[in-house]
Amino acid sequence: MAIINQATKELQVKIVYYGPAMGGKTTNLVQVHDHVQTNAGNKGKLVSLATSSDRTLFFDFLPIEAMTIKGFKTKFQLYTVPGQVIYNTTRQLVLRGVDGIVFVADSQYEKMPENVEAFQNLMDNLKTLKLDINEIPYVLQYNKRDLPNVAPVEYMDYLLNNRDVQVPSFTGTAHKCEGVFETLNMITRMLLQKYISQNVPQYA
Amino acid sequence: MATLPQLIEDDIERLGEALREFIVSTDATAALVIDKGGFLITHQGDASEFDLTTIAALSSGAFMANQTIAGLVNETNFNSIYQQGENFSLFVINIDDNCMLVVIFKSQTGVGVVKYFAGTAVKRIACQLEIAQERAPGMGLDLSVLNVADASQFFRKNEA
Repeated sequence: MAIINQATKELQVKIVYYGPAMGGKTTNLVQVHDHVQTNAGNKGKLVSLATSSDRTLFFDFLPIEAMTIKGFKTKFQLYTVPGQVIYNTTRQLVLRGVDGIVFVADSQYEKMPENVEAFQNLMDNLKTLKLDINEIPYVLQYNKRDLPNVAPVEYMDYLLNNRDVQVPSFTGTAHKCEGVFETLNMITRMLLQKYISQNVPQYA
Repeated sequence: MATLPQLIEDDIERLGEALREFIVSTDATAALVIDKGGFLITHQGDASEFDLTTIAALSSGAFMANQTIAGLVNETNFNSIYQQGENFSLFVINIDDNCMLVVIFKSQTGVGVVKYFAGTAVKRIACQLEIAQERAPGMGLDLSVLNVADASQFFRKNEA
């Protein structure tokens, strides 16, 4: 849950990038890290706990300080989870205290079962943590749109965005930084909107 | 999920006092109160050479991972981890459902003294968090002062 530090006028928010293995979650963070405009010192180091073959082992972590709004210093902590099925316990740990989720789906036709399974896994893990997907802002990113065998956006919406309330979805080619900032800005806006409309941010 | 209480300036000051006294007693380099989600709440000591934001996130992850491992081997009595280094060592101990204390100390300092005084510091911090909880149960902060219309430009891509 977000931390609002009244003493120092800071707002800290945790956003988790979730999705199937090799879908582009870490690439999103790398692109944000490489291209974000920040004042000197506002961008932290990108920490990757990865295997020797660059697969995320525990999580990737990128702290960024964004603009100050009305006196509140806003600090965002971006995490990714490991996509491989065997790391489910790790995914649960990283989800603890999550404020917003970016679900990064792989647009290739043959990856659709993995996308659906990962989304179901997200809902299961949230339930384990006594969280409800309907109460946590999330957005979808249909990544790898530059590949030749991609599914239509409508089909991906049908598979992943077919709930009572549709959430924003973006097409992306993360390794070219396309769709990366659009996705991040949307989840940020939804998060702030939630806090304002509910007026129940937490603490500190 | 349990949540942190709303902390006001007085709470942060008292947490700071507890941390400062702990640092004096143990000669630790820095002491941090962090949230189990990985957020840094407050800290004391000489932290200029450390990236505390990242240390908080990784400490939280390491603690939770070790706690899970302990559970897998049926160990129910788990409340701290100790990383022994050649220059600096790290001790992480549970405070309550939401928070942990992270201590960075020089390796020549024995972990025993850190563990001993951490017990007292943890009690004081937990007590202050409880006071905060009782002062304003379920209270939030009015975030309507934030202007969400600005958020679309929150993160701008550097085109250069």
